[in-house]
Amino acid sequence: MNDVSTTRYKWVGTRPIRPDGVPKVTGRAMYGADLTMPGALYGKVIRSPHAHARIRSIDTAKAAALPGVKAIITGADFPDHKFEYIGPERVAVNFWHVTRNVMAREKALYEGHPVAAIAATSKEVAEEAAELLAIDYEVLPHVIDVDEAMKEDAPLLFEDMITRGIDPAPKKPSNISKRLEFAIGDVDKGFAEADVIVEKEFKTAAVHQGYIEPHACIARVDPGGQSEVWTTTQGHFVVRAMVAKLLGMSIGDVRVTPSEIGGGFGGKIPVYLEPIAALLSKKSGRPCKLTMGRDEVFKATGPTSGSSMWVKIGATKDGRIIAADGIFKFQAGAFPGSPVMNACLCAFAPYDIENARSVGYDVVSNRPKSAAYRAPGSPISAFAVESVMGILAKKLGMDPVALRLKNAAKIGTTMIYGPKLAHGGYIETLEAVKNHPEYQKPLGPNQGRGVASGYWFNGGGESSANIQINADGTILVATGSVDVGGSRASMALMAAETFGVDYDQVRATVADTGSVGYTHVTGGSRVTFATGTAVVNAAKKAIDELRARAAMIWDVPVDGVVWEQGCARPASSNVGDFKPMPLKDIAAKAGVTGGPISTAASVNAGGQAPGFSTQFCDVEVDPETGKVKILRFVAAQDVGTAIHPSYVEGQIQGGVTQGIGWALNEEYIYDKQGRLDNAGFLDYRCPVASDLPMIEPLLVEVPNPAHPYGVKGVGEVNICPPMAAIANAIDNAIGRRLTELPMSPPKILAALDEAAD
Amino acid sequence: MPETTAARVSVSLSNGFSRRYTGGKRDFEIAASSMREVIRALDAMYPGLGEHLEEETTVAIDGEIHDQPGYFQKLREGAEVFFIPKLEGG
Repeated sequence: MNDVSTTRYKWVGTRPIRPDGVPKVTGRAMYGADLTMPGALYGKVIRSPHAHARIRSIDTAKAAALPGVKAIITGADFPDHKFEYIGPERVAVNFWHVTRNVMAREKALYEGHPVAAIAATSKEVAEEAAELLAIDYEVLPHVIDVDEAMKEDAPLLFEDMITRGIDPAPKKPSNISKRLEFAIGDVDKGFAEADVIVEKEFKTAAVHQGYIEPHACIARVDPGGQSEVWTTTQGHFVVRAMVAKLLGMSIGDVRVTPSEIGGGFGGKIPVYLEPIAALLSKKSGRPCKLTMGRDEVFKATGPTSGSSMWVKIGATKDGRIIAADGIFKFQAGAFPGSPVMNACLCAFAPYDIENARSVGYDVVSNRPKSAAYRAPGSPISAFAVESVMGILAKKLGMDPVALRLKNAAKIGTTMIYGPKLAHGGYIETLEAVKNHPEYQKPLGPNQGRGVASGYWFNGGGESSANIQINADGTILVATGSVDVGGSRASMALMAAETFGVDYDQVRATVADTGSVGYTHVTGGSRVTFATGTAVVNAAKKAIDELRARAAMIWDVPVDGVVWEQGCARPASSNVGDFKPMPLKDIAAKAGVTGGPISTAASVNAGGQAPGFSTQFCDVEVDPETGKVKILRFVAAQDVGTAIHPSYVEGQIQGGVTQGIGWALNEEYIYDKQGRLDNAGFLDYRCPVASDLPMIEPLLVEVPNPAHPYGVKGVGEVNICPPMAAIANAIDNAIGRRLTELPMSPPKILAALDEAAD
Repeated sequence: MPETTAARVSVSLSNGFSRRYTGGKRDFEIAASSMREVIRALDAMYPGLGEHLEEETTVAIDGEIHDQPGYFQKLREGAEVFFIPKLEGG
């Protein structure tokens, strides 16, 4: 545990008990599946049993005739959309695709793809009706693996898909949705001048975000068109926009309230159930509730992409990297839109390399559509690049931290995407690892140590906050950010600091879409930065109002009143002899001084600083079983300013834990028919507490000047280094380089057997 | 349209963006003191480009990332502006 921030601020940097803690540990918190409405119907989604099939027909007549069935919908009941990419390139939304992912039309493209939905008076009736649906499928050849999907003779998911980003455009369709390339300098010239070159191919498995709470929602559409949706989501404003668009409603007619959320990690940004529930409600005239089972979560939501990659790095004898090249092929799932662009941009970002290129391919296959997962794309390319860095350090005979320090990106380094890096912080994480007392500690037999780094952009953007001053002097802070990682506590801390009042005087809540201004999703490590800025701005407005009210009470000009330590005070003795007036006293006179004191602020926050993390781990490999035991994990991260250090440490420990699962165990296993064999937590092996040592976070604070308290996003970069750190540690332990995730016991044993041969 | 007295700033587009919208031209010198003026100047050269920039890009101003180019962002003399494809987090 680090002692950070304690000297600069009174509240920022302290560790109060989380305001949502008691409801959660006592079972009172309301999650998605806990919400209901009077007269609610039970909704059931009917899903494709096939990985790839043409839907010849769906006959709903018998099911619809069953007593208790109130509505049945298929893809044909949703308005169709034009085929066009709208909006940002990375998130280019093609609603022709989106509506077909919510519910299949011409073809089912993965096992679990929704093909129909039923609203009935009970679960039993819905299940009986599902049996009466007559769906005629023509089963088609399928493809799961990304390299297989890129082959010329691969089964095509879309018979007319021409790869974007190639000039001239290919004439033949393929499963490659897009090619993209970023480059600086002259890569060929750089490699020609290199003394040492390392190149390697890598594969990673698709992994699920693994949130504990399954997707669930309830929707009501009134005959007049007004509707409300209650759901578990990372972004209720996005749910509102998507429901409105997919159902042809106006945004003003949809009100969305988020529940408490049992994890998201990016996977609760897309809509799956909400448009279906709303359409079933519209058709039946009653509220409709939908809840996924765990198998549905695995088969039809998330995951992040699996990949096939090649990375090459060239350096001089003294360890100066002069060229880097990478090809990153990502599974997008059944519809275009993997995070391959992020992977390309982040791959070499920790390093100052004059000549670098990254090429990406976005490839569709018969898997669920990929969704964002914690620093989407960056951990995948980091596995390849940081593994090559480990090999390079070994080849050069250099300490892996020293190699990284020699090549570290710093303020002014030209990034592969064009601009110069504006923020530091990476070198400080390397120094923190280098100076850790355990870093040089000797290891025992079959033990190894590995180092890796990671980079993530962090987000900013649009956020809103409201502040109300109550008659008793308490302060309500309402934002549009779903609280996934403790943001209510962070918002209250920043408000308390700005007002100069006690933390216990401030209550922070999450407001629905009708009660606060537009706020983008809780994702991209943006909330403490962007929504925090909105809260501070709203607090400053409120302070101006409190000064004006105090001036009125004292009969002095407002310029004669300053705000310090939670009180209005005369700016000087010339103003008059007034005792400091606390916020509570001003609030008590709100009626006579102009009415309730409330403010609102909305921002489009920019100048977010990127996150860097450097981590080392010690592992022990059991040569008999191939099991890898994590002995120690130390994770240094530049966090800007830690508003609530315990939450920041929790983010780091959570990211590392997910990275350990990605490294050692987690993968989607498909059978020959393209059906998922391990759609449950028993067979999809996430790490649990007994698998892990104490993960030690090292909070490095290099404040961001663009935020009132120096905040940088902290939620994501921590998941980038673990996979390569563990691969490097395994290599250090057994002298074998594993290049395919997960590095599960059979793969370790196979690597050891190869050594024996 | 107000007269600008701004000094010149350098503006760059990504490969993909320049391929799609500017016939491959990536780098520009523009007289501008705000992002509003940059967008307006580029839109004058390539009609319709302004809307694409506003909707589809993240912007780096002297290396500092902003999720979206905003009219309100001020530019210093000699500023470096890069339009890059928009990013999304998890």
